[in-house]
Amino acid sequence: MSASPRSDYNVELSSRALGPNVPQRIGRLLWAPMLAMAVMAFPLGFVIAIARANLVANGGDTATIAALGHLGPAVMFVGFAAVFAAISFAIARILGVFRQGGGEVQESAGRRVQTLRLPPTAWAFIGLMAMAMMIILGGVIGNAVVGASIASGNADAFAQSETWAIWFEGVRRIGVALYLVAIALGLAAIIEALRFQAVRLRELPAESTG
Amino acid sequence: MALTFGALTRPSAGSEVRAPSRHRTIGLSLAAVGLAFATIGLINSVAAGDLARQGGQADQVGFLGAWSFGLTTAAFGTVKLAIGLILLGIVRHIWIRVESVKAALPGLIRSRATDSAALGEFDSEFGPATATATAPKPLLIHRLAGLMWAPMLAMGVMLVYAGLLLSFAAAGNVAVDPALASSQQAWVQGVQFLGEGLLLSGISFLLGTILGAIRSGGGEVQESLGLTVKTLRMPLTAKLFIGLMMVGLMVEIAQFIGYAYIATVPGTADYATFSTFLGPLREFGLGALLSGIVLALATIAKALGFQFARITQIITSGR
Repeated sequence: MSASPRSDYNVELSSRALGPNVPQRIGRLLWAPMLAMAVMAFPLGFVIAIARANLVANGGDTATIAALGHLGPAVMFVGFAAVFAAISFAIARILGVFRQGGGEVQESAGRRVQTLRLPPTAWAFIGLMAMAMMIILGGVIGNAVVGASIASGNADAFAQSETWAIWFEGVRRIGVALYLVAIALGLAAIIEALRFQAVRLRELPAESTG
Repeated sequence: MALTFGALTRPSAGSEVRAPSRHRTIGLSLAAVGLAFATIGLINSVAAGDLARQGGQADQVGFLGAWSFGLTTAAFGTVKLAIGLILLGIVRHIWIRVESVKAALPGLIRSRATDSAALGEFDSEFGPATATATAPKPLLIHRLAGLMWAPMLAMGVMLVYAGLLLSFAAAGNVAVDPALASSQQAWVQGVQFLGEGLLLSGISFLLGTILGAIRSGGGEVQESLGLTVKTLRMPLTAKLFIGLMMVGLMVEIAQFIGYAYIATVPGTADYATFSTFLGPLREFGLGALLSGIVLALATIAKALGFQFARITQIITSGR
């Protein structure tokens, strides 16, 4: 990687506009499928909750109630994992638009294109997002396994249902908190992109073309 | 009040372009505080689960669970407030960028066209758009967003932290007065998740404010150059965003009413049944709000793409 030609921002020089980088291209592709997954998971989780509430109200089988108490949150949090992923991918897509659009403006003006390299906040955003998704999905898988065990008649799993529920709830919640912090970091990276663009735009008229 | 909020979202024209964003710094610091709260909640959950596994007393497990819930939900609320502050920083920097575009664009136009672009509606690469002689006025939804983001964020934070204090009270009552503790825990859940809903609505209104700033700023730039003002019409994603936001907020209000009811009937069959149902209901409401936020972000990407294409067109064709 060549050294940045300026001291205030870490940039890459080129003669043509750079397209979106890999995370930004992934964001452009995956934000909509993730949203679709979330939109399907949330109502399904809600339906399971209604079924469980019905069993509680009518004095239904306690093992079934316990199993649904795990499966319902599992499905609901598939939804949360998907919607947070969709938000993260949408933020990556916005960063890609800034990168590509900013380059195209400089290229059309006949100036050397300076493209901001990924700031530390963007790297932290990507890392935390991946960690958060894995943690939430770990909790979801745990809930699903315990729920399926109870539903299949496993007495040990039923006896420890409350313990597992408390533990997996804690895991899901820290995953959500990490995802929210990752989103904050992604938005902070957008501020960096805006600041750079505001500075770069003012430099363009004084620069020579080509 | 509209003028005060306007000063919060739009810096003065001579603002220092290179100045670092205080909103970003404060927002990230607040996000770290929220994460710390959530970590304490996780440790507490592990301890509570272990206590339950070892056959600990129900009121001991209940005590840990009561304040842990309040603290973790407050953690989410704190990070959401941080996200709101960072979004406010984005709005301000969009306007700083608008001033930079106004300053730079006249010196970048290769040659001025002698004729103007045709007026009326047209299909752009990014969807239907309009061409007008002057900058269009802000849409009602943008003006509403500009007014409502701050009250929503403020109310949300107050409710979340009021619920946190109540969760400590509930934790203290688990052993001595279980019925009162159950009632208080119902209020905690209802109040805190209404607060979470209001925070997400505040974030949604800030995203609407960003969209308004992109639209108004783009119009101002084109009008200042004496060019035909091309504006993207509201895409379908924006309309769906508004709908989902309203659905989510109404669901959160409904769950609050539900919890307010069961707080009056602790220990009854109704309490058990409704508790089973209200938890997923509140999560469904948050899911609707978050889905709306995804669509708002998609709309922002589309609007920015349109704006960059328009700037490039002005530079190359002068029209």
